[in-house]
Amino acid sequence: MLSSFSGAFMHFRFAFVFITLACFMCLPAYGQPSNDVKRELDSLRSQLDSLKALVATGITDEMLDKVAERLERRMQQLEEKIDASSRATTPIVFNPRTTAFLNFSARMDDRAVFDEEGIAEISNKMFLRSVELDLRAPVDPYAEGIIILAVEDEAGTGFALDPEEAYGIMKRLPILESAPLGLKLKVGKFRAPFGQNNRLHMHDLPWTTRPLVVSKFLGTEHGDFFESGYNPTGVDLDFFLPTIIPGTTAEMNIDMLRGGEIGLTQGHGGDQPAWLAHLTVSADWSNEHLLVLGASGYHNYGIATTSMVGVDVLYKWSPSERRDSRSFVVGGEAFSGWHAFPNSGLGTVTMTPTGWFGYIQYQLSYSLYAGIRVDRVEEPADESKRTQALSAYISYYTTEFLRIRVGVDHRQSDLQTLDELTTANLEINFVFGAHPTEPYWVNR
Amino acid sequence: MKRKFTCCAVFFVAGLSLHARSLPLRVVTTMSYLKYVAEQVGGDHVSVVALANPRQDPHYVTPTPRMNQIAYNADLFIEHGLNLDLWAKNVLDASGNPKIQPGSSGHLVATINVPVKELPTEVSRSWGDIHPQGNPHCWLDPFNIRIIAENVERRLIAVDPSNADAFARNYRAFIDRLDAAMFGEDLLKSVGPKAGDILTRKTRNDELIPWLQARHLTGRLGGWLAKAERLQGMPVITYHKTYVYFSERFGLNVIAELEDKPGIPPPPQRRDAVVEAARSSGVRVILNDNFYSREAADYVASKSDARVLLTYIDVGASPEVDTYEHLITYLVENILQAGR
Repeated sequence: MLSSFSGAFMHFRFAFVFITLACFMCLPAYGQPSNDVKRELDSLRSQLDSLKALVATGITDEMLDKVAERLERRMQQLEEKIDASSRATTPIVFNPRTTAFLNFSARMDDRAVFDEEGIAEISNKMFLRSVELDLRAPVDPYAEGIIILAVEDEAGTGFALDPEEAYGIMKRLPILESAPLGLKLKVGKFRAPFGQNNRLHMHDLPWTTRPLVVSKFLGTEHGDFFESGYNPTGVDLDFFLPTIIPGTTAEMNIDMLRGGEIGLTQGHGGDQPAWLAHLTVSADWSNEHLLVLGASGYHNYGIATTSMVGVDVLYKWSPSERRDSRSFVVGGEAFSGWHAFPNSGLGTVTMTPTGWFGYIQYQLSYSLYAGIRVDRVEEPADESKRTQALSAYISYYTTEFLRIRVGVDHRQSDLQTLDELTTANLEINFVFGAHPTEPYWVNR
Repeated sequence: MKRKFTCCAVFFVAGLSLHARSLPLRVVTTMSYLKYVAEQVGGDHVSVVALANPRQDPHYVTPTPRMNQIAYNADLFIEHGLNLDLWAKNVLDASGNPKIQPGSSGHLVATINVPVKELPTEVSRSWGDIHPQGNPHCWLDPFNIRIIAENVERRLIAVDPSNADAFARNYRAFIDRLDAAMFGEDLLKSVGPKAGDILTRKTRNDELIPWLQARHLTGRLGGWLAKAERLQGMPVITYHKTYVYFSERFGLNVIAELEDKPGIPPPPQRRDAVVEAARSSGVRVILNDNFYSREAADYVASKSDARVLLTYIDVGASPEVDTYEHLITYLVENILQAGR
């Protein structure tokens, strides 16, 4: 009997040591021992003393069980405290989640190449194309703030610091606790939802350059090799639409934006606010097959009037099992623009350029992806001049945070400077920090 | 005429409110085991949808528009937490549903209060894809499911107090089923009232066998624990740190993981090191989750006496693991069979 008492006593000694250790594990989270933990320790010490006295005088199994049960409850409470302290850290948790992206690229060309403005030579050079700092955090229970600051290479002539995106998302209002149709209101500067590709940042592209149509129709300073796209200031309403086809989802974006900033205008933009709408209809099966169809429209009225429509399609296959070794993506976008602007001497000039790109990507193994892209675009300033390009690339990921990519593209163009140009790009992309989960339109 | 109109309006409003009350609570979970727990506790008063496919790696799920719309219609969103289903944040953001945002009663992190293992002392990406809040695969220990089920029960009651009694009843019945599966009906009857709680406590403290011996109840132990007696000390290799909780509960001895660092496929030199470990420890089984490539496991198996066991870790990943109880039974029995 005495041996079972001493065995039981050993257990309680173990429990006491465990609880004491557990208490100390709580301490770093609180910075210094809280009164609660001290009280808990005192109480456990006195229980241990009582237990020692009981063992000396004799104790029944039932009594032992009761004491054990009481101690277990205490231990559970302490475990809960440890759990809470391990999840909630220090007040820095209120700081924004931060991610930094660093995109380096070196290019080799078979002749001299200049940037979009024709000023800076960019051939056979290395560039730190962009450094992005992504900061995001809830503002309060009603809104979230996102700031993406970008330091971008100005075609080798220096760097420019820009807010690539800086916006707040209102999820609800005190007067409207639940918005209809899941409405979200975005206010600030953001990559506009014209097509799918424009929403991607340079570091998320599956290629080494932007598609020509995105760069030329939506906006660029130095050409498709550098960060391009349309990121105006304005307001975006994003909401679900009811669908009649079971298993499909329809989502609508309606934007009011500052006019005149889109690339198609070539500096002759309208002075009125611009309107943009994007409708996405999608379906996915077993989280393996995803089909997304989209249609976009843009209109800007004023001294110059600009309209543009676009369609986009994306199909993605990524098997549930062995998702890390095989996947397939096919997609593309087509834009058609209409731009009328006054020109002294010529009256009103009207341009109606079109352009499109399509791509296929296949995942060869956990780390390797390969794909091709085809581009065809008419110059917004002169639709009679066309450029087409064929690009091939291979990407190697060590993890989702480090990517090395080699791409080659060949162009044929009515523009002499681009005709029969072949370029090879080496790109290395680093991601560090609290990288948020990528949305479905990022095709790793 | 006026009275008729008032009558109709009253009946209409009453009908609407009755209809609203009779609608089941719409619960959305990230993983299928959470769906199973929510269904067991919620019973007929909930309709539950799981977002992730149970065959896929819960670490890497791409949120789709369909998921966003499902979450938009939810009354309660249950995520696993512990940085496993980080993608849930994208779904919550895109849902536009204020009821289920973190901080609302309609949002639950299911693993609150679960004792977490492997809290890292150093958090750095140089350690691979580590979880700053500890190893998240805690649902493979049935004792943690007790805690998770309690969290779900409490939250269902908070969201829908009118069905509190039913939720409490269902919760108790579910826990009783889990206890029976863990210890066997015979032992539960022999121990008497609160048997499940007492035995759970004893098991968690590694006191069960001496306690049963002292009461001459050893022969009555049944369920998973009785089956798992033959798993005690069995050396195994796992691909990922998936079985940390399962191993502790059922006595497996994890010699090594194929991954040198979590989330990073094993390089060749790592495979060779694992082959050495497998040979020196006499490993017979390599546990390879169904969503990981089995290339490395096959390599180690080809150079040692071990064999590869392809495992499912979520409820519904295959017809044989259609319930949580079947999932644990499947793991225990298949590991036993593979280890023979």
